[in-house]
Amino acid sequence: MSRSKHAGGFRNALKEVFSYKSALIGIAILLLLVCLSIYTIITIPLPEAIHAWRSSEIWSKNPRNAQPEWIEIFYGKKLPRTIIVSSKGINASETPLEDGKRAFSLILFFNYDYEDFPPEIIVFFNSSYSEKLTIDVYWIRPDGEEIRLKRHTLRRPDDKLYLSNDLGLELQLERLVESKIGKANFTVTVERGLFMEYSKTLRVLKGRYGIRFESVLNAGDTLEAEVVVYGLVYGLAGTDHLRRPLIIGLLWGTPIAMSFGLAASILTTVLSLIIGTISGWYGGVIDSVIQRATEINAVLPFLPILILLTTFYRIDIFVILLSIILLNIFSLGIKSTRILVMQIKSYPYIEAAQAYGASNLRLILLYVIPKIMPPVVPAMISSVPGFVFLEAALSFLGLGDPFLPTWGKIINDAYTHGALYKGFYYWILEPAFLLILCSVSFALIGIALERTVNPKLKEL
Amino acid sequence: MSSDVRLLELEDLRKWFEIRRGFLSSKTNYVKAVDGVSFSLDEGKAVSLVGESGSGKTTLGKTIIRLYEPNSGRIIFQGKDVTHIRANELKWYRRMTGLVQQDPFGAFASHFTIFRSLEEPLLIHNTVKSKEERAERIFKALEEVRLTPVEDFAYKYPHMLSGGQLQRVAIARAIILEPKLIVADEPVSMLDASVRIEILTLLRRLQERLRLGVIYITHDLATTRFFSEWALIMYAGHVMEKASTQEVLRNPLHPYTRALLTATPEPNPENRNRFKEVPPGEPPALIDPPKSCRFSPRCPHAFDKCFKEEPPEFEAASGHWVKCWLYGRS
Repeated sequence: MSRSKHAGGFRNALKEVFSYKSALIGIAILLLLVCLSIYTIITIPLPEAIHAWRSSEIWSKNPRNAQPEWIEIFYGKKLPRTIIVSSKGINASETPLEDGKRAFSLILFFNYDYEDFPPEIIVFFNSSYSEKLTIDVYWIRPDGEEIRLKRHTLRRPDDKLYLSNDLGLELQLERLVESKIGKANFTVTVERGLFMEYSKTLRVLKGRYGIRFESVLNAGDTLEAEVVVYGLVYGLAGTDHLRRPLIIGLLWGTPIAMSFGLAASILTTVLSLIIGTISGWYGGVIDSVIQRATEINAVLPFLPILILLTTFYRIDIFVILLSIILLNIFSLGIKSTRILVMQIKSYPYIEAAQAYGASNLRLILLYVIPKIMPPVVPAMISSVPGFVFLEAALSFLGLGDPFLPTWGKIINDAYTHGALYKGFYYWILEPAFLLILCSVSFALIGIALERTVNPKLKEL
Repeated sequence: MSSDVRLLELEDLRKWFEIRRGFLSSKTNYVKAVDGVSFSLDEGKAVSLVGESGSGKTTLGKTIIRLYEPNSGRIIFQGKDVTHIRANELKWYRRMTGLVQQDPFGAFASHFTIFRSLEEPLLIHNTVKSKEERAERIFKALEEVRLTPVEDFAYKYPHMLSGGQLQRVAIARAIILEPKLIVADEPVSMLDASVRIEILTLLRRLQERLRLGVIYITHDLATTRFFSEWALIMYAGHVMEKASTQEVLRNPLHPYTRALLTATPEPNPENRNRFKEVPPGEPPALIDPPKSCRFSPRCPHAFDKCFKEEPPEFEAASGHWVKCWLYGRS
């Protein structure tokens, strides 16, 4: 006879759970993730996050594949952040010429005191012109030297000048460097040529740099410029191949992964519990149908069906959730629930309850399910990581929700863009770390709950 | 049983359990657990159902309170046919009947307190609306079964109580809806010998005070004397003998009753060297019992007719019926 010690001792059980250090760690991590989720939902509303995640325009002034800032600890030197200098608020000097034309001159200064070279330099123009507009660009080094970089003719009012991949410029700078220090034993890229100290060893010349624009404007023409010296590091989490800050995906991945995992595990557990209970309680034809359905479901290949579904239907996270639940509720767990229910059904207290008129519904809800709940709850918590991983795996396979930023999708991006070969470890490790953190927290809590319910495990 | 009000009447009651042989075979067999039982019980009276294991006494008890639906025959309760009632009528019948089970430890849901267990019937039947009244009723019921001080017991869980205490709670639960009929299915057989008599005394006193009809199911003839007005001796689904308890014990007529009485231990030192005559063999399988008298294969007095034909119930003495050819006036 099961005269269980957990009779009514929900509070005691909770107290016992808290007595396990592993549970405390798990709960602490879980709380952290929950706080993170709440913070995310409040600070970055979902539509905004989705829009930001899907547009490449708004990130054009972010570095591409920048590592997180804290990576400096491992390099031991100060890595460049992105520097943006805009002509807004800076008065360009304009001298009137004949026919209403004006000579335009603008110098933008910025301080560069990092210990590595920037990966990329782009000048963003914003102009309005009636005729062709040609701009001369000069580079002013901290040591006072001025280099004429090139003459650029605007093709659009919002044209960009890419300095980095300009082969002519690269050749020009290489010659310049050769004239200063002789043949260099390293390749001279545009950035190196612009920022290096003229010495045999490759070193950044720290100090105040300037970039000067000169042009002749027609009457009514305007010209604004913005220089972006891209950094090697960006924010807490770095950026990906589309210059998107990974932090948005990582942050939004947290509530999505946790709610997906929890929703999937709670719904599948509760629904299979109900189905199993009905099967065991009513028996007969209902039982047979449910049992056969379970057996058929057990041999159906889960992933191929899911892949088929996601191929044929427009999917979002709810469709995925629904199909995962549908494919999971007739799990083999139903069989053990059914056996338990059949056993409980024969207990004298059920007969006593029938004798005083308890209905089937009342018996199931108040007499049977509370009896089978104790082992179900830890199993439910322990199954959360499985669903979190499943969602990530589906995203990784390209079967996830196409709009939502999720951890799995970040890993997928990283994988398809060869992050590991190119050495962008942060790109894979960050979402993987969060996935593990999330799983570990649920697993630790699940194990502790299991121990309180099943005393035999306590010896482990 | 003349001027009293008739509470319960059974007419040729049968409860056969279906057993299916296999998945495809269409042939169904029946276990004839209760096979043609008739008797009646007046209000406020107790009847003992005596028999060995497998005699169908428990099945009969459960059929009477409609935990099982009989296959044929009729159950008349307070003049109303309750044989096949359903839904609201059945709920009413549930309120009018109570059950005390054999195993007090299993009789309560371990996740309910005693209070909650006793509250359940009241909640289901919604006879008492307010929470305060329910608590009052529960405390009253606990007082009735002498579990005092009631506050000490009401908020305990079943595993904190002893078997005797639990059986008292079971009795409290059976009477809390103020029923007219209680089936007590071997209520003391799992209890310590020391508390058996207390429980039986309690049950008897309640029965007299609340004018309950009680069906006392037991395998122990010794306790029937103490407990009931009437005694029914059951064997293999049949009632072999029925009479007042006094009469059955003093003047047992059926060979099976006599055998049962012989088997009852008597605390007399002289018995230590006496050999008790016990009928040989075992009770028949109820799937395919003998067509004739069901006791005939084991009966020391059986003659030709016993093996051929099932005996009817003969009134051997006034109010003393025996299902045995020995008493047939032919």
